[in-house]
Amino acid sequence: MENLISQNTNQTKNYCFEFFGKGSEYFTIMIVNMLLTVITLGLYYPWARAKVLRYIYGQTALNNERFHFAGTGKEIFIGFIKVILFYIALMIAYGLISFVSPLLAVLFIYLAIFALIPFAIHGSLRYKMSRTSYRGIRFGYRGDRNELLKYFFKWMFFTIITFGIYSAWLQMNLRRYTHQNIRYGDVEFSNNANGGAWFLLNLKGYLLTIITFGIYSFWWQSEIFAYYINNMKMTKGEQNIKFNSTATGSGFFGLLFVNLLIVVFTLGIGVAWANIRTQKFILDNIKMEGDINIDDIHQTEEEYKNAFGEDAVDFFDIDLV
Amino acid sequence: MKNTIDAKYYDGKSSVSQIATVVFDDTINELQFQITGGISLCWHLKDLQFERYGGLLEVRNINFPGAILKIENVYFSEKFYVAMKKNKRVDIHTRLLILGLAKISAIAVFLLSLIVLAYFYLLPRISDKTAELLPESFDKLIGNTFMKTFIRENDIDTAKTRYLKQFAGQLDLKNKNPLRFTVVKSKEVNAFALPNGQIILFSAILENMESYEELVALLGHEASHVNYRHSIKMLCRNLAGYMIVSLIFSDANSVMASLADNAQQLNSLSYSRSFEQEADEKGLDILMHNNINPNGMVKLFEQLEKRNKTSIPKMISSHPLTKERIDNMKKIISETVYKVNSNDKLSSIFNTLKTK
Repeated sequence: MENLISQNTNQTKNYCFEFFGKGSEYFTIMIVNMLLTVITLGLYYPWARAKVLRYIYGQTALNNERFHFAGTGKEIFIGFIKVILFYIALMIAYGLISFVSPLLAVLFIYLAIFALIPFAIHGSLRYKMSRTSYRGIRFGYRGDRNELLKYFFKWMFFTIITFGIYSAWLQMNLRRYTHQNIRYGDVEFSNNANGGAWFLLNLKGYLLTIITFGIYSFWWQSEIFAYYINNMKMTKGEQNIKFNSTATGSGFFGLLFVNLLIVVFTLGIGVAWANIRTQKFILDNIKMEGDINIDDIHQTEEEYKNAFGEDAVDFFDIDLV
Repeated sequence: MKNTIDAKYYDGKSSVSQIATVVFDDTINELQFQITGGISLCWHLKDLQFERYGGLLEVRNINFPGAILKIENVYFSEKFYVAMKKNKRVDIHTRLLILGLAKISAIAVFLLSLIVLAYFYLLPRISDKTAELLPESFDKLIGNTFMKTFIRENDIDTAKTRYLKQFAGQLDLKNKNPLRFTVVKSKEVNAFALPNGQIILFSAILENMESYEELVALLGHEASHVNYRHSIKMLCRNLAGYMIVSLIFSDANSVMASLADNAQQLNSLSYSRSFEQEADEKGLDILMHNNINPNGMVKLFEQLEKRNKTSIPKMISSHPLTKERIDNMKKIISETVYKVNSNDKLSSIFNTLKTK
């Protein structure tokens, strides 16, 4: 078998993403989640979240093989408890400092939340990646937390002194850093995004959206999507896979406009179908090209347990990851 | 019975898919399989986790991280599920899910209607009981806190306040705890009572009163809010209501959440109506108890309703003065035997209060 594979190495392979999820199935899961959450007075929430993730991952397939989310409700629950404990500790510290100086206390809270962002990104990625697998091979995140913290504060500092302009670079630097630390077995991810291009893309999108009274926003959205996807790359030794977006502005218009109609006319009940449509749209519009043999990936990532980051993101609702 | 079937196997070390032959014996709860050209393995059902996608079954073993056994056979998948269920390896979520959308929706609708029933019929009773359990020091705390900021932001009319106190001193407002009275200078036609017994009148509400009966009616109404702890009951009901609403819709989307939010607000408005009605009736009772003409309440309402068109209708929005309320008052007055004594002292204090 090993010999057979090595013969194929330099040939271009076919890759096909698919999403098998159905609105009715997803809706049923949401109803069951709601039932159990209500009956348990909200305690079921982490388990409900795990179920949703497991469904979405399980319905996502590459070359007819499904992804798997191995995270459990218990892990997310423990993460949630940790976040609450952390929050209480933060509030106590705030209370104590505000005895000395209220201004200092506010400053402390802002600093603490800033400091928390890289922790949350790191923890969330570590948890989510370690819990994701495909063909029995785990993903993993190998970023160094202290390094990320150092970078993050540096980029944050530049963002503040440039009155926010540097935030485009901050976002893309973060993306590059986190992506280059993602592994799928012995396959390495990387990202080629840069702040300058990202800044121009968004400046153009913003201006054109204003000029066209919002119509251009769908094309802006498709450019954002393409920028995210097209800069991604997977490498394994000499082999690699490149990603390409096939999403168009009119495609996004169709997706978002119909989703809006679905949600509004079903009084929100149709959100399950809208979510499934979105997921399908995303996967239908990612094309992979390259010569990595997905039959020949080796397990490299260790098992890892800590759901702290996973919920810190949920808790503070930071949409950076 | 035994089943032999072909399967795909991933060993968790490499991504290569291997072919295996599986033997499932549900009498000994084991899954035995032989990997083609390789080893034989035996998995105990108690170590297994599974996902079912239609007829496709993915089995994972907690002792073999990464390993997956994939079997595509509807019959086998069903058999495996039954065996797992027997071994208590199927969680409640999966058991419910298998009932299908129709049954699940029926259960959800049933549960939801139970909750809605509880929300409308049980919740007010339970939260009123909770309010009764709360110590009166809580009422004071809430009232005092509000009053502190209110006084900071408003101008007290000290002369009118003094006379209002005298006026109220002449009445028995059926209060168990001391009441305090304050008049603030304002063009807004409004009055309200705080749970700590503080009753606040805005000066504009006094301007158009023609008789002391109206003022007694207003005080009776506000005192009844305090006597029956309406604010605290309202607080308890709203808190409980929001808790239920957020419990059900916390995971729902924003459209549903905002619908639920509005329903809760409407419901809270209907609570406030029922409290207003109670305060009207108990206030009327106070008028009669003090031998004052109960029609003062009707006059007060009519006069306020007229002003609704010309001045800031704050009083109307928080205390909706509907025809219904006036009719209710008239009906009670016509059905009750009451005694009226003209009260010169009240009349004279009222006149001073109006001119100051």
